[in-house]
Amino acid sequence: MILGDLLDAPVNDASGNRLGYVVDVRLVLDGPLDGLLAAPRLHGLLVSPRTGTSFLGYERSGVEAPALLARYFAWRHRGTFLVHWQDVAEVAPGAVRLVDQFRRFSPALPATGRQAGR
Amino acid sequence: MKKILGVALGILTAIGGFLDIGDLVTNAVVGSRFGLSLAWVVVVGVVGICLFAQMSGKVAAVSGRATFEIIRERLGARAAGANLGASFLINLLTLTAEVGGIALALQLASSVEPRLWIPVAGLAVWLVIWRTRFSIMENVTGLVGLTLIVFAVALFLLGPDWSTLADQALHPRVSAQEGLASYWYYAIALFGAAMTPYEVFFFSSGAVEERWTIKDLSQSRLNVLVGFPFGGVLSVAIAACAAVVFLPKGVEVSSLSQIVLPVALAGGKLALAVVIVGIVAATFGAALETSLSSGYTLAQFMGWSWGKFRRPARAARFHLTMIICLVVAVGVLMTSVNPIAVTEYSVVFSAVALPLTYLPILVVANDPEYMGEHVNGRLTNAFALVYLVIIVVASVAAIPLMIVTGAGS
Amino acid sequence: MSDLPQDRRPPGLMLDARLHLLDRQILDVDGTPVCTVDDLELHGLDGSDRPDGTQPTVVTSLLSGAVLTTRIFGGRPPPSRWHRIRWTHVSDVGTTLRLGVRSAELDVTWPERWIRDQIIRRIPGGSHDPG
Repeated sequence: MILGDLLDAPVNDASGNRLGYVVDVRLVLDGPLDGLLAAPRLHGLLVSPRTGTSFLGYERSGVEAPALLARYFAWRHRGTFLVHWQDVAEVAPGAVRLVDQFRRFSPALPATGRQAGR
Repeated sequence: MKKILGVALGILTAIGGFLDIGDLVTNAVVGSRFGLSLAWVVVVGVVGICLFAQMSGKVAAVSGRATFEIIRERLGARAAGANLGASFLINLLTLTAEVGGIALALQLASSVEPRLWIPVAGLAVWLVIWRTRFSIMENVTGLVGLTLIVFAVALFLLGPDWSTLADQALHPRVSAQEGLASYWYYAIALFGAAMTPYEVFFFSSGAVEERWTIKDLSQSRLNVLVGFPFGGVLSVAIAACAAVVFLPKGVEVSSLSQIVLPVALAGGKLALAVVIVGIVAATFGAALETSLSSGYTLAQFMGWSWGKFRRPARAARFHLTMIICLVVAVGVLMTSVNPIAVTEYSVVFSAVALPLTYLPILVVANDPEYMGEHVNGRLTNAFALVYLVIIVVASVAAIPLMIVTGAGS
Repeated sequence: MSDLPQDRRPPGLMLDARLHLLDRQILDVDGTPVCTVDDLELHGLDGSDRPDGTQPTVVTSLLSGAVLTTRIFGGRPPPSRWHRIRWTHVSDVGTTLRLGVRSAELDVTWPERWIRDQIIRRIPGGSHDPG
C-alpha cells in the first residue's frame, strides 16, 4: 500500500454512509527500530467532511498568527476528526470503511517541542 | 573599518541592484503620461518589497530553506505545481525583457542593431553565471548600477518647476484624456515593477547561497531598509525626468532612447554615456538574477541539487535549466519582438503572480517549526496582512484592467 | 471541533504525512539535495502489502520519481516509476529529511548524473569551482 491509496479516499462508516475524505494520515515514530530511527507507525486517519487538501495544516498545528488567516483555515476545516487505524476495517480501492463503533478524536496535533530546522 | 565598508557595500549594491528594465520602462512611461501622480505607488511598492524581502530573507536565514522549497512543502505538489508554472513563465518573460534591455542599451552605445547584441548579451550572462562567484557578481553589477543616480542629477539640471511636480505627487489627479482605468492599470504595473517575484526568489536563495545566519539578519535588514527606499527615489527621479520633458508635449515614452533623452538633454554626451553604463549594469544584473531564479525555482520545486556555491557538475540540472532558459529568451528576442512591450507585460503579470509566493512565505514566517523564536512579531504581521490585501486586489484587478484598457494603450 | 476528545499522546514524534513528510526536501549525508518525498510505502508488520486496522502498519520506504503528472492530475503511477529510499537510510526528520547515505549511491539521482556526464562536464569549466 502507498500513502496515495489512502489520501483523498472517501471514508464510509460500517453501514456505508459517507463520513468524508482522508485529508491526512497521522504517523508516530514509535514503530520497531529501522536503521537510526523508529519506523513511523500508522496511527490514524484525519477525516474531513470536505475534500481537497487541508491547506497549510493550520487547523492542526496550533499556529495562531496571523490571526485572521488562522481563523479562516480553521473555519474551512471545521468538522475534521481523527480516527485511529485500529478502527479501520478495510481499505478497498476507492474507499476506506470504518468499524462499527469507531471513535472520533480531535485532529489537533498535541503541542510538541519541535524547533526550527537546521 | 572593514565592517563599515561591508555595511556601505551592502547598502550601495542594494540601491544599484534595485532598478531593472521593468522599473526603468514603467517609471518613464508613467512619468510621460501621468506625471508624478502615481509616485505614491512607488512608495507603496517599496515598503512592500522591503517587508517581503525582509521576511523571506529571515525565513531563509533561520530555517535554511529557500522560497520554492517552502511553497512546495506547504501547498503540495498540485497547487505548488500550478504556482511554479505561473512563476516560472513570468520569470522567463522578465528574463527575456532584461536580456532585451541589455541589447537595447548596447545598441544606444554602438548603433549596432540589437539583434546582433542579443546573442552576445545572452552568452555574457551565461558566462558570468557559469564562472563567477556569487558575491562578486552581486557587488559589481550593484555598484556599477549606482551610476543610474544620474537620473536624479539630470532632474536637478533640467531645472523643473518643483511646485508642479510636488503638486502632481501630493494631489494625484487623472487627466481627462487618460481615464481612470488606464490610471489604475499603470498603478498595478508600477507596483509589479517594484515588487517583482523574482527578487524574492533571488533574495531568499541568495541568503542560502551566502549561508546567512541569524547574525547576518541585521545587516540584511539595513541593506533592504536603506537601499530599497533609495532605489525607490531613483525610480521617482526617472518618472520625474520623463514628466518634465515629455508630459507637456504629450509624447508617450515607447523606446529606450526616449527614456534616456532627459538625461542627454540635461547633461550632454557624458551624462548619456554614464546612463547607458548604468542601464547595461542594471539590466545585466537583473538578467543574472532572473536566470538564477529560473534555476532556483525549478530545482527547489523538484528537489534537485542547486546553488552557485556548488561547481556546475554538482548541480547539473540546475545549470542546464538556466542554459535552456537563456536560449529560449534569446530565441524569443531574435523574432524581433519589442523588448519594451515584453517588459510592460512582464511587470503586470508579476503583479498577477505575487500572491502565489507572498502567502506561503507569510505563513511560514509565522510557523515555529521553521522559525523557532524568530516568528513574525505582531507589528510585522499587521503590515503583512495589509499588504496581503493590497497584493490580492492588485492581482485580481490586473487582468480585467489589461483587457479594458487594451494593455494601457 | 473542540467537543471531540483529545487523542492520547503517544511517546514518539508525531507527524502528519501530508503536512510533515510529503513534498519535503530529502538531503543526503553531506547536505546535498537528493529529491522530494512523493509518496510513502506502507506495510503491515507481518509484511502484508494490503494491511488494515487489524494489524500495526509502518512506513517502510520513501518513494520519489518521475510521478509529477499523476501527483498533479491524479491517478496511480505504474510501480516502475518509483524509486525507493528505505526508511533505514533516514537519519533525521525536521523541516527536511536527512539520509545517512550519499546521493550518488541512490537510484533516484540517475538523471542528475546523466545530465552531469553527458552535458555539464563536457562544457569547459563545468567541473571547476566558480572563480
